[in-house]
Amino acid sequence: MDIIKINDLVKRFPVGKGHFTALNKINLSFGKGEFAGFVGPSGSGKTTLLNIIGSLDTPSEGSTIVMDKSISDLSHKQAARLRNMYIGFIFQTYNLLPVYTVFENVEFSLLLQNMSGSKRKKAVMDALEWVGLTDKIKSKPNMLSGGESQRVAIARSMVKKPEIVLADEPTANLDSKNSHHILQTMKKLNEEFNVTFIFATHDEKVMKYLNRIVTLEDGKVVSDKENKS
Amino acid sequence: MIAIKLAFKNLLGAGLRTWLNVSVLSFAFVLIIFYNGMIEGWNRQGRNDTQDWETGQGQFWHPEYDRYDPYTIRDAHAQLSGEIAIQIKEDKLTPVLITQATAYPQGRMQGIALKGIDPQQKILKLPTSDLDNVQDEYSAIIGKRMAETTKLGVGDRVLVRWRDKNGTFDAREIKIASIFKCDVPSVDNGQMYISLNVLQKMMNLENEATLLVAGENYSGGEIKNWEFKDLQFLLADFDRLIQAKKAGGMIMEGFMLIIALLAIFDTQVLSIFRRQKEIGTYIALGLTRSQVVGLFTVEGGAHSILAALLGAAYGIPLFMYLDSIGITFGAPDMGITIAETIYPYYSLGLIITTLILVVLSATIVSYFPARKISKMNPTDALRGKLQ
Repeated sequence: MDIIKINDLVKRFPVGKGHFTALNKINLSFGKGEFAGFVGPSGSGKTTLLNIIGSLDTPSEGSTIVMDKSISDLSHKQAARLRNMYIGFIFQTYNLLPVYTVFENVEFSLLLQNMSGSKRKKAVMDALEWVGLTDKIKSKPNMLSGGESQRVAIARSMVKKPEIVLADEPTANLDSKNSHHILQTMKKLNEEFNVTFIFATHDEKVMKYLNRIVTLEDGKVVSDKENKS
Repeated sequence: MIAIKLAFKNLLGAGLRTWLNVSVLSFAFVLIIFYNGMIEGWNRQGRNDTQDWETGQGQFWHPEYDRYDPYTIRDAHAQLSGEIAIQIKEDKLTPVLITQATAYPQGRMQGIALKGIDPQQKILKLPTSDLDNVQDEYSAIIGKRMAETTKLGVGDRVLVRWRDKNGTFDAREIKIASIFKCDVPSVDNGQMYISLNVLQKMMNLENEATLLVAGENYSGGEIKNWEFKDLQFLLADFDRLIQAKKAGGMIMEGFMLIIALLAIFDTQVLSIFRRQKEIGTYIALGLTRSQVVGLFTVEGGAHSILAALLGAAYGIPLFMYLDSIGITFGAPDMGITIAETIYPYYSLGLIITTLILVVLSATIVSYFPARKISKMNPTDALRGKLQ
């Protein structure tokens, strides 16, 4: 069953008096548990597509249905709830909240879900165990290495057991060893919890791990194939 | 609840910048309370002193009497009835007879108000019993200010000229029995107090008075042919002075508060541009834009809570110390009722009002920059692209 359905999606951005078409007639769908990625050169529309799936942006035309909800029709509040309950984000620059500890960063999404303290603590500790960071719970983000920071970001995205994790260039700031480490972690979580992972990347290392590669160029899907490497 | 928790966490995490803002705001907070406490302390002391020395608990005036019009004094006197005599005997009222006179201290000439008052009275703090302590029938007590302007000392004699009820001039040397010190200039400046009986005799106004001062024991009720003036009326000038001082103080407090609030406003504006990625992350994690606006508003407003706590930490010991020693201004003679040492008065109402004012204004100035977040595109915020 598809949890993401994209039909004739067009996204335009105003530029001066005209506009720039970032995505042009995109038709895609993703099922539960996929480990897929958008690849392509800079400006091909990978991040824009990821943002629309994550309800951070809306389509100009066409429809994007995520978890049976049309992104175009969601209010700010409904979109926020969708993100909080079902979607995890991983960013290139980690985007950890600087004044919070590792534990508090991971705990943040659960606070918004009004989960009880004891349940929250268990969930956070579990998530940190998945990424191997239980010894860093009291550290602040500025005390972590790049690899550790990205593992905290993975734990933060996974702690609420989302349906979808959207990772935008998650390895761009990491060395080869750390890149493989976090990709293995994500792959393991994908298999263990059957969570759908969708990447936006142009990193060859990431592509090797993907089960499906959607190639974008100038806002259009130029290929969509299974990856058997 | 989450917003408050997060706001305080962010605020404390911001470190020195937060404490600089909080320090400035706490200084404004303490200064506002201090200034208002001083004014209130002055107000209370001034009112008490005026009641103790001049007005008592109210006064009955002869209908012709107007304290601002010296021309009314001549005809403003009436007989003291039996009913009044009983109240005087019971120390509920004390009569005062007033006439205009001219003193000639050391050959100079000065217009004065000559006031006759019962030496045995216990209602006013005036040391009238000193009038009985001298042998000379024509003795007077005067205040320190009057003594200084006339250069008179205890035991000195001064020629005083007055007109009796028929308009006939008379004059006599009066001996200064004592000099009193009083914070109420209207009791002192240009005033000379002699025995009531003596003045009645001098004026040929046996058993007459211009006004009756009511004491604490006075049971109330009207007295025929006399007009009661309550404290609100009698202290109206002083109240106006205090109101003017408060209004002046508000301008100073306003400036102080604006400086502190500008610092918060500036921090908020900077925060919103500097923390774009953080704002984008909050939204990505599931906060609505209005929740993020709320978070930043609470964060700005929380400066005021920290300022109140910091202010309390150094303000309470400071205020307690000042309350115990008072604040001495030397011996100011500004023509207004003011004690040499003022003991500030800090009421709970004053503290709560100031707290509300500071919290509310800090929250308002935090809200305006935070409103901009509601117009932010989260994808631009995540990339830190906004200008």
